[in-house]
Amino acid sequence: MSEITPDTDARRIAREARDRVRFEEEALDLADQVYRVARHMVNSREEAEDLVQEAYARAFRSWKQFTPGTNLRAWLLRILTNINIDRGRKIQRTPDVQSLEAGDYYLFEKLEDSGGEITDEERVDERLSQDSIVEALSAVPHDFRDVIVLVDIGDFSYAEAAQILDIPVGTVMSRLHRGRRILKRQLAEEAVPDV
Amino acid sequence: MCNCEECEQFLQPYLDRQLTEAEVLEAESHLDECSYCRRAYHFEERLRMYVRRAASEPMSIELKRKLAALRISL
Repeated sequence: MSEITPDTDARRIAREARDRVRFEEEALDLADQVYRVARHMVNSREEAEDLVQEAYARAFRSWKQFTPGTNLRAWLLRILTNINIDRGRKIQRTPDVQSLEAGDYYLFEKLEDSGGEITDEERVDERLSQDSIVEALSAVPHDFRDVIVLVDIGDFSYAEAAQILDIPVGTVMSRLHRGRRILKRQLAEEAVPDV
Repeated sequence: MCNCEECEQFLQPYLDRQLTEAEVLEAESHLDECSYCRRAYHFEERLRMYVRRAASEPMSIELKRKLAALRISL
């Protein structure tokens, strides 16, 4: 039986402390990106802040489970998503979602019908306010919104989003496409009054 | 060459670079001819960038401070 000398033990503790500090610093550097995604996975800023705090508390406690060299940003988001689901977020059923969808040109068509041709030089924010984007996004059902938020806002790849949400890559892509169509339909309702 | 309806179907996979080479050519030959679809594609591109910008809310300094306080190593 080998005996651990005080010296080796001290070195091990020192190395672990160093690794922990590095982990915590790297995780904190990603907090802005984690918050940006969390903000639209729930409906209020307070809820998002609370969720991010719980995710970080959990991440700091279980830092040893993270494999160095793998994707820390995705690991943190996976923790956050699990907490969000544990909190009892209602799973929305897909059938009634169909009525929320419209074609991919729908919003464009409505905007041109109501305000004339959209030129290449015209800025999108002249037709759609920032608030209308946030409002419309919050009206997209969770399953679809999560994918939009991860891929289109958080810049995660399809594979990363699949890993975070624990769904197949094909599902990520179909939810993304349908989710964007739902978002545009909501935007049309927000921005063009007679829709 | 496809028509406007097919071109609408190609919109998302085209921008996501998910189309086959043949489909890209098909979509582009229609886009060359049709200014309506061209405007719709360009609008979609700019809309995506705008959604990203409009939905990116910075984290509060207070939250940043709270997260730092959760550190165990300090």
